[in-house]
Amino acid sequence: MKTFGRIPLTASGFAALPLLIVAAVVAALFVFPWLVASPYLLHLMILLFLSVAMGESWNVIGGYCGQYSVGHAAYFGVGAYAALMLLQYKHIAPWWGVWVAIAAALIISLLIGTICFRLRGPYFVLASIAVAEIIRLVVLNWKQLTNGAEGILLVDIPPLMLGGRLVTDWLSKTPFYYLGLILALATLLVNYLVQHSKLGYYLQAIREDQDAAHSLGINLSFYKNVALAISALFTALSGVFYGLYIGFIDPASVLGVDLSVQMVLICIIGGIGTNFGPVVGALVLVPLSEALRANLLSKFLFSIGVVQETSRVGGFLKENLAHAHVLIYGILVVVVILFMPDGVLGFGKKLIARRARPLSATPTPLVGGLDGSA
Amino acid sequence: MRVLLQSTASGILIGGVYALVGIGLTIIYGVMRVINFAHGELLMIGMYLTWIIFTSFGVDPFLSIAITIPAMFLFGAFLQRVLINRVLNALPQNQILLTIGLGLVLSNVVMLIYTSDYKIITTRYSSSTINLAGLPISTPLAISLLITTVITAILYFFLLKTDTGQAIRATAQDRDAAQLMGINVKRMSVLAFGIGTALAGTAGALVSPTYYIFPQVGGAFTLKAFVIVVLGGMGSVIGATLGGIIIGVTESLAAVYVSSGMKEVFVYVLFLLVLLFKPAGLLGRSRM
Amino acid sequence: MRSTAEIARCARSASLSVAALAASLAFPGWVAAETLKIGVINSVTGPEAPIGENLTNGIKLAEEDLAKSGTKVELVWEDDTGKPQIAMSAMEKLATRDGVAGVVGPYTSASANAVAKLAQRYQVPLLVPAAAKEEITRQGYQWVYRLNAPANVYAQVLLDAVTEVGKPKTIAFIYENTDFGTSTADAGKKYAEKKGIKIVADEPYSKGSPDYRSTLTKVKSLNPELVFMVSYVVDAILLMRQAREVGLKPQAFLGGGAGFTTAQFASDKAISGNVLTSTQWADDVKWPGASDFAKRYLSKFGKEPTYHAACAYASMMIMADTAAKQGGDRKKIRNALASGSWKGIMGDVKFEAYDGYTNQNKHPMLVLQIQNGNFAAVYPPDFATKKPVYPFPGW
Repeated sequence: MKTFGRIPLTASGFAALPLLIVAAVVAALFVFPWLVASPYLLHLMILLFLSVAMGESWNVIGGYCGQYSVGHAAYFGVGAYAALMLLQYKHIAPWWGVWVAIAAALIISLLIGTICFRLRGPYFVLASIAVAEIIRLVVLNWKQLTNGAEGILLVDIPPLMLGGRLVTDWLSKTPFYYLGLILALATLLVNYLVQHSKLGYYLQAIREDQDAAHSLGINLSFYKNVALAISALFTALSGVFYGLYIGFIDPASVLGVDLSVQMVLICIIGGIGTNFGPVVGALVLVPLSEALRANLLSKFLFSIGVVQETSRVGGFLKENLAHAHVLIYGILVVVVILFMPDGVLGFGKKLIARRARPLSATPTPLVGGLDGSA
Repeated sequence: MRVLLQSTASGILIGGVYALVGIGLTIIYGVMRVINFAHGELLMIGMYLTWIIFTSFGVDPFLSIAITIPAMFLFGAFLQRVLINRVLNALPQNQILLTIGLGLVLSNVVMLIYTSDYKIITTRYSSSTINLAGLPISTPLAISLLITTVITAILYFFLLKTDTGQAIRATAQDRDAAQLMGINVKRMSVLAFGIGTALAGTAGALVSPTYYIFPQVGGAFTLKAFVIVVLGGMGSVIGATLGGIIIGVTESLAAVYVSSGMKEVFVYVLFLLVLLFKPAGLLGRSRM
Repeated sequence: MRSTAEIARCARSASLSVAALAASLAFPGWVAAETLKIGVINSVTGPEAPIGENLTNGIKLAEEDLAKSGTKVELVWEDDTGKPQIAMSAMEKLATRDGVAGVVGPYTSASANAVAKLAQRYQVPLLVPAAAKEEITRQGYQWVYRLNAPANVYAQVLLDAVTEVGKPKTIAFIYENTDFGTSTADAGKKYAEKKGIKIVADEPYSKGSPDYRSTLTKVKSLNPELVFMVSYVVDAILLMRQAREVGLKPQAFLGGGAGFTTAQFASDKAISGNVLTSTQWADDVKWPGASDFAKRYLSKFGKEPTYHAACAYASMMIMADTAAKQGGDRKKIRNALASGSWKGIMGDVKFEAYDGYTNQNKHPMLVLQIQNGNFAAVYPPDFATKKPVYPFPGW
């Protein structure tokens, strides 16, 4: 609560404005399901919230603490598996199972932290991948426990009753929409709190220079583990949410390396180590991949008359643009890294700053040392 | 006993190919300190090149490396000049992500051109064996091990005895010092990425007679290559050779005595153990 | 220190993007057309794309034939990239935005499972062409139909075929540890036990490894009379090549899964000879139009059709035909699918309830044997064109 005091709430009308805008956006998001009937749009919003939650969770350890874990699928998958296995095999409702999922993710995070935090730079990255892969392979091969590659197909979620009153029967998208929204907002808030707390300063000190931070008396492994635990907790919650919403999990979909990479990419593309970076990243990636996948982009080009659908170029686009979405994704990553090393958000800020002060060159905030390797 | 011998032998044979993939990665890392997550995709490009030469001109995969090696070298040099060079001084994580993006681009461009169909090269000797003291040894793998050995030997000679090779090693040891000594560090980086790419491409060419080819084939090799390189010691060529063989044999024995599905677990556990207890790798001290 | 103004900027850019997203999803001009629409969900990109492509091709042929016969349908193609959550996005879009009359797909079991639930919820007829997981049609869904035979049949029909001609006593299972691999092998293990065949080896493998020699060496040392392999992809060729290398020689090689039914596999004569495999479809079977389909497919796409292509073709023909006849009314289409019967390149199709299945086509699977580089149907007797070679005569 102390951290809230840092926001100059009433300092001036100017400072209150951004808060008002945030409040307005949040309010708009809360009434969104009443205004929009399309389940498809709701579904996309849910995927968007999920991406935001995943990105923000990763941001705590990767962004503020500078520990580039490419094994976060481990927490996501363990969370999803814990909750769904309990629900499916033991008929334990997910609002109880989620605590087990959190506990499991925390234990795993402690284990991974103990192993991996001794390593730095690229070694840490590789070790985090290795641990996640071990977990994936164990889940895949421990058939008696996890049903192996066949995965877990959720039959149904018991209705949520509160004080004898039915809250939701989980049949429509609306409860998932609100759960997703709350999850995304919670991770955003956690990021804000972490960033503006003592913990956040320690983490950023570790990110900038581990050895200097250590010599200042910051307990490296303790704070790294705390950051990882927070990150793991919310990643696991995202995993539980995914499992409940999609209703089917298997090792490939919730424990694969590509999922871990995706969490990193959301942050990198949006802007790493910032509150709203992952939000921007998700806002870029989710609609873009959907637009490409469903061929909305080429339809859009046709409808505005840039290209004729019947022309040869049009035919080629229609045939190939949908197939090329991963390609475009890849190109986007390359472009962002090369030309917007601070992500879309950082790039946007720089543009605005340049417009505001055209004469003074804005110094690029350099994050971390040039060589993080051991 | 027979099972043990047989599986050790096939482990060594497949390890030879792994070694070649690892050596390429380790040279790139050694000289540029860039972890190349697109390494498996470069191998994939080598496979497709081999397949194209094989299907359109009927050139034997093992002979076609005479074309694949220079072509892949040029391709690697080009990638370094255009992309990798720009992030040499960036954060290591940004380098990693750039190469991940590059990998996605490569595999998806190939997919757009050749579709995601599986291609397989069938030669006269695809499933033939030679008899080694009563053990059947796959002919194509034996040939590829032979070629791997020759290439590694040439590479050694190059790195140890030629001026350029020594300049590469100097750059790998200390980039700044090398620059002060008048070594053209940028050129060395281009050379190193070219050589690394050529080696990955060669590995692709050498496995193609015994494996199959599709756009996403690289992923499995990338991860394995890292394990090999870390195992041997980042930047060490002998280490990567040894690492490749160790990984090959570990997989092979784990598949027999535990379970095929779990064999990779042993590889990763071995990897973590080395990272924790001998972080410099088995041969980490002797750079190259 | 982050100023609040900075947060405001972020929020502003975020809200702008939301607006852009909403706009991009809502641009006019393509939402409601009058033509009858059928959705297709398939894995066009991603790890499942190699097989997915066969379904795409099969459906493209169906599209041609529908146009020829004057059935006016517009296909709405959706890529699920092999991921269930993306398949759900696709289904949501088809059901609620595009207003399709019915959906054919998705290809993978994982995606089909996720989509089946949505089909039931949105009451959209879904015809699954080739996904093998048994559960898909075992959940009592009234809106979900499946053309192909489920995973357990792959193993059963093969074991039936060999026990017809021989008396094998031991069997080794080597299978990819994927959904398809494990469920097929599980069904096989149960059925083998029922038939009194002893399981001497149970070896799941990660698909895509370059080296299976050690596993095969181990299996060889156990000397099984039958070797049952499940491979969905080209691993089948590697497995057989390496089996030959290590000198594995059982009484019969049984191959479950698409990897053993490709022309590519058969053409590698040195290793494919006399392998028995189960399939949903073959071009030389006396199903109307089957061989013609194969010829047209070959000339259009430059390769032989797999059973996925045939399943997808037949599914699309059935769905489009039914939808057109019922005027695009989803409920009527569902009823027509439930009560109708069809005859085509997949033989007789009828969606029935049996053994806990609902709306499942009781599709007879075929056992093929590769004889002289060609597939020949050897079982069941109704469809057999050749006699099986048993036991395996050796390399």
